[in-house]
Amino acid sequence: MPAGRLRAGPQDAALRLKLISCEIFHREMCAVVARSPNQVDLEFMPKGLHDIPAADMRGNLQAAVDRTPAGAYEAILLGYALCNNGLHGLTARTTPLVLPRAHDCISMFLGSKERYREYFFANPGVYFKTTGWIERDKANGELRQLTIQHQAGMDRSYQDLVDQYGEENARFLYEQLYDMTRHYKQITFIEMGVEPDDRFERQSRELAAERGWTFDKQIGDMGLFQRLVNGDWNAKEYLVVPPGHRVVATQDETIVRSEPAGDAG
Amino acid sequence: MSNITELYDAILTGNHKKAVEITDTALKGGQDPKELVDKYMIPAMDEVGRRFEANEYFVPELLIAARAMKGALNLVRPLLLAQKVAPAGRVVIGTVKGDLHDIGKNLVAAMLEGGGFEIIDLGVDVSAEKFVAAIKEKGANVVCLSALLTTTMPGMKDIIKAIETAGARKQVKVMVGGAPVTKQYADQIGADGFSDNASGAVTEARRLLGVG
Repeated sequence: MPAGRLRAGPQDAALRLKLISCEIFHREMCAVVARSPNQVDLEFMPKGLHDIPAADMRGNLQAAVDRTPAGAYEAILLGYALCNNGLHGLTARTTPLVLPRAHDCISMFLGSKERYREYFFANPGVYFKTTGWIERDKANGELRQLTIQHQAGMDRSYQDLVDQYGEENARFLYEQLYDMTRHYKQITFIEMGVEPDDRFERQSRELAAERGWTFDKQIGDMGLFQRLVNGDWNAKEYLVVPPGHRVVATQDETIVRSEPAGDAG
Repeated sequence: MSNITELYDAILTGNHKKAVEITDTALKGGQDPKELVDKYMIPAMDEVGRRFEANEYFVPELLIAARAMKGALNLVRPLLLAQKVAPAGRVVIGTVKGDLHDIGKNLVAAMLEGGGFEIIDLGVDVSAEKFVAAIKEKGANVVCLSALLTTTMPGMKDIIKAIETAGARKQVKVMVGGAPVTKQYADQIGADGFSDNASGAVTEARRLLGVG
C-alpha cells in the first residue's frame, strides 16, 4: 500500500468549492466534479444568457455570485470564458473567483486557447457541436424575450414578417437576418468522452449533410475542466480574482485580468 | 404620376417598388438627380436612423428602408456620376479575418449608403492586405472594420498597423464596430471612430469627414 494514501493530511484536504457554470458544460462538469478531490457544489445557468446583452449576462452571473453565502466556500469557480465580454466587470465580493483564460467555450472543449486559435483560423466557417451545443442550444422561456435578437426585432416568424412588411420584403428580411450561419461551411463535432453513445456525433453528421457542409470530428480535452475543479489553477490557464476585485477583458493573449473593483462593482 | 414627396415616405416605410417607380418617373420627367437625393432620399434615411435610435424602428425596418433607398439609388447613381457629383465619402467595409458574421456589417453598409456614401464592400473574413489594397485602389477616405467575436477582434489592431505600414493611414479614417467592440478598445488601438449601432455609424462617418 503506498504510504500516506490513507492518512488524512494537508495533501488530502479537500477544498470546498462552488461552481457556477453555463449549462453548455453540463455533462463535462458533472464528469470532472465526480473525479475531483474537492467538494464541489454545482449551479448551472441557462445557455440563453449568451443571447442577451453582455451587461445583462453579467448581471445574472453577478446575482449568482452574490447569493453564494460568504465564508461557505474557499473559491467560486466559473464555468465560463470571456463569452463576448459577458464576464467583463464581474466582481468577487468576499470569496475569490476562478475562471479559465479563454474567449469562449470552444477553448475549453479543445483543451487550450492555443489549439482553439489554430483550429479556428485554419478552418473559417466552422460551427462547433458538443453534447451541450446539441441538447441545450436554445434560449427558452423568459430569457427569449430578453435576447438581442428579440429586442432588435430579429426573431419574428416568417408569417409575422409577411403580415407586417409584405411578401417581398419578408423574403428579403428572412435571407438577411435569420441565418446567422449562412457563411458557415463546416460542422466540427468535439468528442469529450462523456457521450452515452454515438447519437450526438450522428446528429452533427446529419446536420452537416443536410446543409451540404463538411464534417470534422475532433477529440476534445477535459484538462481545462478537470484542473478547474481540482484547484490546479496555474496562472497561464486560469485567472484568480481576489475579493474586492473584478474581471477585466485585456484584448490580448492573456484574455482576462483582475483589477480592484472600486465603486464600479 | 406619383407625387415626388411620396419618395420620402416610400423609403421611410421600406416600399422598394414604389421608391423605384417614383424615382424612375421623376428622372424621366427631368428631375435633377442630386436634388432628388439631397431633398428626399437622404432625409428619409436620416429619419429612419432617428426612429431606430428612438426605438421606434427595429432592424427589419432599417433593412427594408435601406433596400428601398438602394433601389432608388441604383437609378440615380449613373446620372450623379455623369454630373461628377462626389459622394459624401468613399467607404471600404468588411469583417475582419476569421469572422464570418456580417449582419451588423451589412446594416452599417446599408445605412452609410443611404447616407450618401459610396460603399466598397469586401465581404467577410477580410485580410489586412485586402483592406489595404482596396483603400489604395479605390481612394477610400473611410474604412470600417467589423467583428462579432472577441477571438477575431484583435485583428483590427493588425489592420490599422498594416494601413500605417502601407503609408495610407493619413488617407483614411478608421471606424470600428461589432458586438464586443467598445469605445475604449477603439481608442486603445488608435481607431478614429466607433459606433455601437448602424445609424450612429453614419453620424460618426460624417463627423470624421466633416460633412453633412
